[in-house]
Parts: sequence; C-alpha cells; structure tokens
Amino acid sequence: MSRWLFVLGGLVVIVVIVVASVGGTYNRLVALDQAVQSQWAQVESVYQRRADLIPNLVETVKGAANFEKSTYVAVAEARAKVGQLNLGGGAPNDQAAFNKFAGAQDGLSSALSRLLVVVERYPDLKASQNFADLQAQLEGTENRIAVERMRYNQAAQAFNTARNSFPTVLIAGFFGNRFNEKAYFKSQPGAQNAPQVKM
Amino acid sequence: MVGLRALLGAVAFFALGATAALCAEVPIPASPTQWVTDTAGFLSPQTVDQLNTRLRSYEKKTGHQVLVYVAPTTGQTPLEDWTVRAFKAWKVGRKGLDDGLVLFIFPSDRKLRIEVGYGLEATVPDATAARIIRDTITPEIRAGQPDRAVIAGVDGILGVIGGEAPQPAGSAGAGAQAEGSASEPLTAQDILVLLFAGLVILVLVVVTLRWAARLHTVFIGSGRGHSGGGGFWGGGFSGGGSSDGGFSGGGGFSGGGGASGSW
Repeated sequence: MSRWLFVLGGLVVIVVIVVASVGGTYNRLVALDQAVQSQWAQVESVYQRRADLIPNLVETVKGAANFEKSTYVAVAEARAKVGQLNLGGGAPNDQAAFNKFAGAQDGLSSALSRLLVVVERYPDLKASQNFADLQAQLEGTENRIAVERMRYNQAAQAFNTARNSFPTVLIAGFFGNRFNEKAYFKSQPGAQNAPQVKM
Repeated sequence: MVGLRALLGAVAFFALGATAALCAEVPIPASPTQWVTDTAGFLSPQTVDQLNTRLRSYEKKTGHQVLVYVAPTTGQTPLEDWTVRAFKAWKVGRKGLDDGLVLFIFPSDRKLRIEVGYGLEATVPDATAARIIRDTITPEIRAGQPDRAVIAGVDGILGVIGGEAPQPAGSAGAGAQAEGSASEPLTAQDILVLLFAGLVILVLVVVTLRWAARLHTVFIGSGRGHSGGGGFWGGGFSGGGSSDGGFSGGGGFSGGGGASGSW
C-alpha cells in the first residue's frame, strides 16, 4: 500500500516537473518571438520612413534643370513596388514573403544610390539647402535601416538558437507553425555601399 | 530518490544549455565617467572642463544626457556602426525615454557624428544635426579652431533641445529655442513618492514571503532564507544617472538617428 503511494507520488512529481518545464520553454519562446516581432515592426517603420521621403526627393530633383528623367522615374517605380507590399506581421515566419520584402527594399536602395550618383553632376542642386537637408534625412534613414536590420537579425538569432536547441526543438515542434524559424536579412552584393554621399 | 535528483539535474542542465550566448562584437571602450571625454588631445583642458560643467548642470536641469566624446579613431569599424554600439553600451539617456545625445569626434579619421537617442529624434531631426555639423562645427575645425568648433556645436545642440539656463557670456544661440523638451526631470516630490511606493511594495513582498514560507515550510528550507533581511536593500535606487561624481548612463539607446560629417 505504502509502496503504491510512493510510486504514485513519484509520478505526480515527474508530471509536475514535465509540465512546468514545457510551460517554461513555451513561455520563453513566446517572449523571444515577441522580441522578434517588435524588432520587425521597427524594421518596417524605418523602411516606411524612407518611403515617405521619396516623393519629396523626386519633386526636388525634378525641379533641377533637365535632370535625367530615367533616374527619378526608376526611384518612383521602386517606391511604388515597395508600397504594394502587404505583409502584416507575419513576414519573419515566412521565408518567401520575407525575401520578397527584402528584395523590393533592396531594389529601392539601388535605385536611390543611382540617383544620388547622378546628383553629383548637378552642383547647383547639390548645393541647395533643400537638397542638403533631404540628403541628411536620407542618410540618417539608411543608417537607421542598417541598425534596425542588424538588431532584427540579433533577435531572430536569439529566437532560432533557443528554438533549435535540444530539447526545446521537440517542444517547439508540438506547436506546428507557431514557432517557425525566423528569416534573416542577408546583405545583398553592393548593399553595403547604399547611398553614401560626401558632405 | 537518487533517480529523481538526477532527473532534476538533467532538467536544470537543459534549461541552462538552451540559453546560448550571442555573437561577440568588436569591443567598445568602457563608458566615459565624465560628460566630456577627449582621449585624442583635440580640445584644450579648459574647454573640456568648461563644457563638462555645463553638460553636467544641463543634465541636472533637464534630465537629458548630452555627451562629447573625442577619440583618435574608430579603427576598422565604420563610423556609424561604432557610434550606435557605443551609445547603446554606455546607455546614454534615460531608460524608456532614450533622450540622450552624443557628439562623437574622431580627429585621425577627420570624421564626426551626432548620434541622437530614439527619444530625441523628433527634437533633433537628422537635417538639423547635419546643419549643426555642416554650418557650425566643421567650418571652425577647418579653420583650426577645435575648441570653438565644439563649443559652438554644443551651443547649437543644446539650443535645439532647449531647457538650458541662459549662459553668462560667449555663447549666443544657447537657450534660444527653450521649452523644446518633452519631459521634465524628477523633482524631490517625485522621488519621495517613488520611495514611498517602493517601501509599500517591499513590505508587501516581505509579508507575502513570510506567509508563503509558513504555508510551505517543506519547500522553502524552513525560513532559512530570511536571515539576511537587509539584503533587499542592496543596490536599490543607485543607478539614477545624475549623481554628482560623474557621468553614468541612464539606460537609453539610439537607433542610428543623427548625422555624420567629415572635414
């Protein structure tokens, strides 16, 4: 009789430990997942900030005497492509959507850097206060994008490391798509020399 | 019983093993202990002292942590990368408000940057920071007047953020655009309220622990943990940020806002 009680008590203790450890793991994954989501929101907001600068930039260069039309049209088109992306918060969990987002943003980056190279040929435009301010905003935004992308990658790495280590990986598996691996930003060839203009 | 202990050990082991460390980064110097730091001999000692006093009292008055940091070079690290990481490592600005700002100057690289905390991005937009660098600081540095350059730069920055007491002489522009700051520093009254709230919470915690210990003496080694009651006070309320001794970071950080320049 007392032996049965002992076994039963032992089983209860084991069940309690297992439940507590699964619960703890789950909660930790939720916390890390939330960190990735909020960092993703930061990434989206700095990209949005850049997109908001484009119309003003395009207007300013249009105003310069015979500015090459193709360059600012390319920027406006890339901006439109970025505007069409409709992601919601799910992108970090969806490699395909994530790549589409990153691809469209990189397209805008390269159109912008081409435009800034062309601006070098228009000293009057470059010297104007309006353009100088826009350029400072653009550089600041590109820098913010770099920072938030890096912080996103760190948050995603923290999540993925926790998610894929044993035994968390077994527990994460129970929950299906809830704890998918997070996608990373990869630096595109040439992305490191995004708009960089000497002052 | 031995089996149970082994099981517990295994559970603890797995819990620890999962907390992996993040990748290491190129080191950033330790947090400065003063508001103005010059390791490159760029400024005269008088200017360092004068600006340091000014920025200390500025923090006391407005709560904004504004630093000047001069070092020879960022080495291999790109300027913007270096400054955003230093800003984060030094925790410039108050926690939650992120209302700090650092003027970085690297004479050997002939580069400088104003790094703006998240909370000041609306007050000091990139274009404004760029104007201060372009129109105020770099012309003076080019003219061989580093002291005047930095003093004028600080004038410009504090003028934009606002809230500084009027300067006695020699610094126009300062305080011209006051009342720009969104948040006020803690008053003595606030601190009293905080202390009182902390005391209430402490009492509640102690009472709860006593009560819990009485109920579960078996699980919490029979009240042994209560011997060091004083331990609760250890280290509380210390990291306030604006003690008289020197600068200490308040817990803020930046997201790459600001502007860079070179000469």
